[in-house]
Amino acid sequence: MSETVLNVEGLKKSYGKLDVLKDINCKIAEGEVVCVIGPSGSGKSTMLRCLNMLELPDGGRIELHGNEIFGGGKTRDLDVLRREVGMVFQSFNLFPHMSAKQNVSIAQVRVRGRKRKEADERSVELLTEVGLGEKVDEYPDRLSGGQQQRVAIARALAMDPEVMLFDEVTSALDPELVKGVLDVMKGLADRGMTMVVVTHEMNFAREVADRVIFMDKGFIVEQGNPDDVLGNPQQERTKRFLGLVLSR
Amino acid sequence: MEVFFDTFFDFNFMADNFGVVFDGFIWTIKLSLVGGFFALVWGLILAVMRQLPGKWFAPIRWVTIGYIDALRGIPLLLVIFLIANGLATLSSQGTIPREIGIPNWFGQPDPFWYGVIALTLTYGAYMAEVYRAGIEAVPRGQMEASRSLGMSHGQSMRFVIVPQAVRKVIPPLLNDFIALMKDTALISVLGLVETVQAGRDLYSEFFNPSGYTLGAFMFLIVTIPLARLVDWQIKKQEEKFERGIP
Repeated sequence: MSETVLNVEGLKKSYGKLDVLKDINCKIAEGEVVCVIGPSGSGKSTMLRCLNMLELPDGGRIELHGNEIFGGGKTRDLDVLRREVGMVFQSFNLFPHMSAKQNVSIAQVRVRGRKRKEADERSVELLTEVGLGEKVDEYPDRLSGGQQQRVAIARALAMDPEVMLFDEVTSALDPELVKGVLDVMKGLADRGMTMVVVTHEMNFAREVADRVIFMDKGFIVEQGNPDDVLGNPQQERTKRFLGLVLSR
Repeated sequence: MEVFFDTFFDFNFMADNFGVVFDGFIWTIKLSLVGGFFALVWGLILAVMRQLPGKWFAPIRWVTIGYIDALRGIPLLLVIFLIANGLATLSSQGTIPREIGIPNWFGQPDPFWYGVIALTLTYGAYMAEVYRAGIEAVPRGQMEASRSLGMSHGQSMRFVIVPQAVRKVIPPLLNDFIALMKDTALISVLGLVETVQAGRDLYSEFFNPSGYTLGAFMFLIVTIPLARLVDWQIKKQEEKFERGIP
């Protein structure tokens, strides 16, 4: 196994009396693509959001490349963490008052300190990579959901993150737009990007993931390579969930 | 009916004294533009201070909320007296320099600046609430997306949240501006001959209220187009909303 990018130990999170994450332990290795599946309310999105501190965990440890960024209830270097961890959201969250190019450029200029021109060139390059070379000057309201999501991916990539987090990024898309986004993600995986993907796309998980994690009720119930977890699950809960999802 | 017209719409009288009322109206416009500008800026500063995150900024948030509540709950007229008489007193005691206590900046008389300060303090509080509504109407995901890129809270506010919030609240800000413009009349109590005071002066001298009517017309020439502009802006936003654009 190559170097560990993210190391999560004993992660806990609750909202009032509701324990969303009870004891999450996992390691994400460099270049690994991990798909996280599970019923809604299982805590998979919360876990992802804890990984870049959009939700503050209540306990446990998170290390990025061996540097502790959360531990003992204390957080460190949040902005440093976040610039190394790219995140793509279910609802795209593009900045509606900026063109596609500006969306991708803004953090390069403000966080990475790149020159505007250099950032714009990189943005056009990335937008072209995700198939939107023609749309760099369009505003989000003129783009389809699938196109917006691809801009959002380019925006996160522009920070040259060490790991990319995807939070149900195709769930809000019309069916015919899903493929374009998944293809971009496959391309990223092929080029060795470390990815944690919360998804309901079982075919994507089967094809692309190195490892599948099944979560339920705040725990990691089962994990392993996709063929094992999806084809031959060991736990009752995993079987029940897959039975419901795959019989559709 | 004729008596009514002769009393309120004495056009000869209006024509003869147009200059007096118009000179007053110039003061109204100057107060509105300068006071309105500072209120817009001060209101935004207050709104941003109110949104500062984390427990360390809690005292700033409380002070800001206290300020906004207080200034929204005090009559503007009282603020005007408080500023004018207060600053003059402090200056005469030598507590603050004369240039600040009795300001004559840019060659404008001190009642003008007292008025601008009072309008800024009071309307800044009103506008802070408008901005706040705008900031809170920006979806949560915008801040999350911005922070997830490594931008700080301040950068996110400046480049992502506030630009969107301001666009959303242009109509209510314009409404506040119309209200502010009308409230400049209160500054007449400091002896500034703005539109209303010009009408009063004419009335005391000639026992003819048509000067007021003329002043009212001057207000309406500015406020009615502004009201139309507000409606047009709202309609534009609604159309955008109907097309499904956030």
